[in-house]
Amino acid sequence: MAVAIEATAKGNGGGGGRAGAGDASGTRKKKGPGPLATAYLVIYNVVMTAGWLVIAVGLVRAYLAKGSYHSLYYSIEKPLKFFQTGALLEVGIVPSSVVLTSFQVMSRVFLIWAVTHSVKEVQTEDSVLLFVIAWTITEIIRYSFYTFSLLNHLPYLIKWARYTLFIVLYPMGVSGELLTIYAALPFVRQAGLYSISLPNKYNFSFDYYAFLILIMISYIPLFPQLYFHMIHQRRKVLSHTEEHKKFE
Amino acid sequence: GKHVEILDAKTREKLCFLDKVEPHATIAEIKNLFTKTHPQWYPARQSLRLDPKGKSLKDEDVLQKLPVGTTATLYFRDLGAQISWVTVFLTEYAGPLFIYLLFYFRVPFIYGHKYDFTSSRHTVVHLACICHSFHYVKRLLETLFVHRFSHGTMPLRNIFKNCTYYWGFAAWMAYYINHPLYTPPTYGAQQVKLALAIFVICQLGNFSIHMALRDLRPAGSKTRKIPYPTKNPFTWLFLLVSCPNYTYEVGSWIGFAIMTQCLPVALFSLVGFTQMTIWAKGKHRSYLKEFRDYPPLRMPIIPFLL
Repeated sequence: MAVAIEATAKGNGGGGGRAGAGDASGTRKKKGPGPLATAYLVIYNVVMTAGWLVIAVGLVRAYLAKGSYHSLYYSIEKPLKFFQTGALLEVGIVPSSVVLTSFQVMSRVFLIWAVTHSVKEVQTEDSVLLFVIAWTITEIIRYSFYTFSLLNHLPYLIKWARYTLFIVLYPMGVSGELLTIYAALPFVRQAGLYSISLPNKYNFSFDYYAFLILIMISYIPLFPQLYFHMIHQRRKVLSHTEEHKKFE
Repeated sequence: GKHVEILDAKTREKLCFLDKVEPHATIAEIKNLFTKTHPQWYPARQSLRLDPKGKSLKDEDVLQKLPVGTTATLYFRDLGAQISWVTVFLTEYAGPLFIYLLFYFRVPFIYGHKYDFTSSRHTVVHLACICHSFHYVKRLLETLFVHRFSHGTMPLRNIFKNCTYYWGFAAWMAYYINHPLYTPPTYGAQQVKLALAIFVICQLGNFSIHMALRDLRPAGSKTRKIPYPTKNPFTWLFLLVSCPNYTYEVGSWIGFAIMTQCLPVALFSLVGFTQMTIWAKGKHRSYLKEFRDYPPLRMPIIPFLL
């Protein structure tokens, strides 16, 4: 879900986030950001692309060194935290819905810090690898999409990848996220993690275990909506390009 | 007479043609005529404008005063199902009143069975129930007898949104305050007395402002005037803020939070304060736009600050 929301928010017809500035389906002449802002955005997107490539390479190298795909989290833990948290900078420089963008970044950051980092026992789960791979591929494509768009030179392959691979990556990411949260539950319950119970002088209680279950439930209404919205966007964006190619 | 054609703002489809309309007819009257041919679109859900993307025309606007030729072209937008403001207010306020009492009386299935229908041993819990109930009874009575609404209706979905907010927070607060494991305020009776004083003063203040605003506007009219302090000292806050009713409302909830020393109450106050600040800033801006001589010292909601 963390994968899908952002594609909805930024890439396609409606979004055109400035983190990506100017979506490629647009033959609309939009008043783009000035030269200084464009330079900043290009640098930002290049750095993010590079960061996620580092994570991708890190995963591959660790896999080859270990000979297995288990517990690869540790080999990319630091760059993953750094670059995913860094995406907070995107919120607010995107002209499209700040609400949607911040929601998506928040949900990613939540998974990295409040679940995976906080509950050490899940770090060896294979489900972590599932969402890390999904996020990594998605982000490499997304940030390069933005970079190329800013430079007004978007290869069709990147656009195609962006609007097609989600079909697999999105369910993959969601599965990884849900399985990870599910795996964390017993440890949260046992340790009373981030929970406070009555009585206390603030007359407040919070059950992190119940909260995580609510989060999992929230995927049910949200996931299909976002997924089908993206499918719809794909049809719009890719068929639009087809027509233009005919006229070239 | 004039001719009026009504087109759909999105599809430009011709929806209705009215011939021989009186030039001094109002938009309200045209809306009534339009309803005759399209009964599913009652006047409250019609937005008519001169430009498909422009602002809605007001019900009081007169046809011949509009910049149109002998045939006026109006664009129609469906505002969706509407519900009256009074209905929304009554529903959203009756909920918390009732819900809080369910927790206060410890109705079964909320707390453990051994607590069913028991009563808290803390005085402050009883006081809190009185204050909370008083607050919402006051709101209900004001809705029925004091407020003069500029708009008749709002979109239907608002009632679900608003009730979720009010009812949800009421349940959340009430759960803790009336809980068998409730912890009374750290500074005891002193804290409660101070908080109660703040609460009462702010409730009186809020009511005074509502009455002052009501007196600004004669019954049935939609006129807007700059509010000024009256003989009632509570209204002197108008010297410093545009929306003292919101100022007093925030004050009431801060008082209630101190009284109950309950974090959910503090959070509710914070959320309410945020929303009221947005409204106050909007109101302040429209005052400034509409009145050249608007008092410059006034801030929207917090004297000198916000």
